[in-house]
Amino acid sequence: MTFFKRFLVLFTCGSVQVFFATYLLLELFGFGLGWHLAVHNIMFVPGVLVFFGSGYLTISYYFLSDDASNNALYDEFTALRYYKLATAGYVINGIGIFMLYSAQDWSSWSFELANNMIYQIAAFAWLTFGALLVWFSVGDYRESKSG
Amino acid sequence: MGKSHEKLLNNLEEFRKAANLTQQELSESAEVSRKSINAIENGIYVPSTVLALKIARTLSCNVEELFKLPEENNI
Repeated sequence: MTFFKRFLVLFTCGSVQVFFATYLLLELFGFGLGWHLAVHNIMFVPGVLVFFGSGYLTISYYFLSDDASNNALYDEFTALRYYKLATAGYVINGIGIFMLYSAQDWSSWSFELANNMIYQIAAFAWLTFGALLVWFSVGDYRESKSG
Repeated sequence: MGKSHEKLLNNLEEFRKAANLTQQELSESAEVSRKSINAIENGIYVPSTVLALKIARTLSCNVEELFKLPEENNI
């Protein structure tokens, strides 16, 4: 495993996640996109990518990489970057959920609206962590170029 | 003292250059990424005790020579 390979895995997972989450959010808020995903099973793609991406990273850590690579890729400064980004994600999600709650039509509340709100929250969280995954991967890309 | 974190002054860059090591070589010896060494030298990151000891061992000096608390400078 190298910084560039990890960049490729994380960037692919993150950018695909951002694309699908943005699409879903726009659909849920009723924006006319002018086009729709014809095959709805394709919505599984981000999840499948994350599943295989994290599986590959785990396998490479335990079986495919030497200690020197693992020491560089998973050191304490990387852990701090990850921790800071995850914290930012929770903060952004908290603000987003508050805003989504505030934007609901509570005067004519229904199960349909409740269902829609749950999808909105899920899509927003998905978008946030997708964007942060891309951000994290950019750090790996920079390191691969300067390291 | 080089560029330092507000809570920790460091001499790492001077000691590394005196030992004729690149950031990459020091990072391999201290078992971290080059980015960590760069972040410590630029005062972005405060290393753990274990990492500080590994760096000091590589550079054949004491941790106290590499890192100082800011108030020590005013004494």
